[in-house]
Amino acid sequence: MFDWLANPNRFNRITEKIQPYILLISGITLISGLYFGLFDSPKDYQQGDAVRIMYVHVPSAWLASFLYFTLAISCVFYLVWKHPLADLISSSIAPIGTLFSALTLVTGSLWGKPMWGTWWVWDARLTSMLVLFFFYLGYILLSNAFERKIDGSKTASVLAIVGLINLPIVKFSVDWWHTLHQPASIIKVGGPSIDDKMLLPLILMIFALSFFSLYIIILNVKTKLIEKKCEALLLKSNLEEISTTG
Amino acid sequence: MSLQSSFIQIFISHIKREFLINFRSLVDVISTISFMILIVILFILGIGPFEEKLRLISNAIFWLGLILAIIPSLEKTLQRDYDNGWLDQTITSPTPMEIILLSKSLAYWLLVIIPLVISLPLFIVLLNINLKLIPWLLISILVGGLSISLIGIIGSALTLGAKRGNILLPILIIPLIIPILIFGVGISEAVIINESPIGNLFLLIGFTLIYLVISPFISAFLVRIAISR
Repeated sequence: MFDWLANPNRFNRITEKIQPYILLISGITLISGLYFGLFDSPKDYQQGDAVRIMYVHVPSAWLASFLYFTLAISCVFYLVWKHPLADLISSSIAPIGTLFSALTLVTGSLWGKPMWGTWWVWDARLTSMLVLFFFYLGYILLSNAFERKIDGSKTASVLAIVGLINLPIVKFSVDWWHTLHQPASIIKVGGPSIDDKMLLPLILMIFALSFFSLYIIILNVKTKLIEKKCEALLLKSNLEEISTTG
Repeated sequence: MSLQSSFIQIFISHIKREFLINFRSLVDVISTISFMILIVILFILGIGPFEEKLRLISNAIFWLGLILAIIPSLEKTLQRDYDNGWLDQTITSPTPMEIILLSKSLAYWLLVIIPLVISLPLFIVLLNINLKLIPWLLISILVGGLSISLIGIIGSALTLGAKRGNILLPILIIPLIIPILIFGVGISEAVIINESPIGNLFLLIGFTLIYLVISPFISAFLVRIAISR
């Protein structure tokens, strides 16, 4: 099945068809999510309007972790079945995941200023998100650190898989560290019982950002495919030139 | 001679080789310890000579010093063998690369961690570390050091032949070894507040065991990629 999907031309054809729908879904959910989130949802009794940062913060945090998971899975496909497309997918996911984890950190710190009084609190979740950001950064740096592109992709894929094993441990140990040092002093964001009126825009925003990043990833993969084709054509024309002149 | 015993022989001979190479010039070992002392000095100069303050964070300083001092020497573990072609030769031998790399990481552990353990009294004096911590500190350094060297060999294999590998290595390694720092400091802190540190110790051992299993395979895979280029 994956062989069937890994054909670049087929990938192009399929995505050509579904791309407009993805954009449509993401647009509709984004607009409605923003409307419900910014105008038609209650203020938090403690946090006031600042709670609306949640509608960006939580989806991007979710996406940052989910995208790392997909990145590592597609790295597995690249290493085991050696599909070139899998490498293109993981290298297209990496910058988007980095951006989302950065966005989580920025919105978290913007949210922290009115809530905690400081821009940054060493909260367990923020800390592990910061570590996740460095996992993304390591992947990107390592994949660009080699002379040949393919060496970088292979090595960075291994790093991503090691990260997939290590990240849950890091997450657990940071939670552990936090409970040791600060026994439940910070307001539990969102909380276990969230108002339905808040849940609706949250879910809408999660869908919006997920579909939007899917759209961007497809676009990225397509660009990389075209780049590869151009490189191949250039190589071919150079070879022909050499064979005719020399 | 059975296959198993021959593997053990090869294992021991590789550890011997590492010792021979490294102890002909003691520079590496000495530089690691002096680097750690210098890091401690920097910390103390940064926070001031107040004893109460120091007592609170001396464990953290000790662990940070340990980790930071080990990282620079990690790069050399494989890079030297890669540069002079030793890895190219051994990959053609019938011994699996996994065994060779496992012996390398164990040798590295003995070479770097044991001197640090021997110099532990020095750091206890310098940092005013509580005396009842010593056995726990010893165990946690031995176990934590093993996992640092196992992860280090992965990092070293990742940056094999990379541009600016020496700068890249800490960026790749430090996120991976965060749990060691947390569990290691957790052990000392639990002892200080008279609680059982056994939970943290088991977590540290578990973490080390995970890497003991996966590290040789991952680093051998990476070395094969590096050789084939």
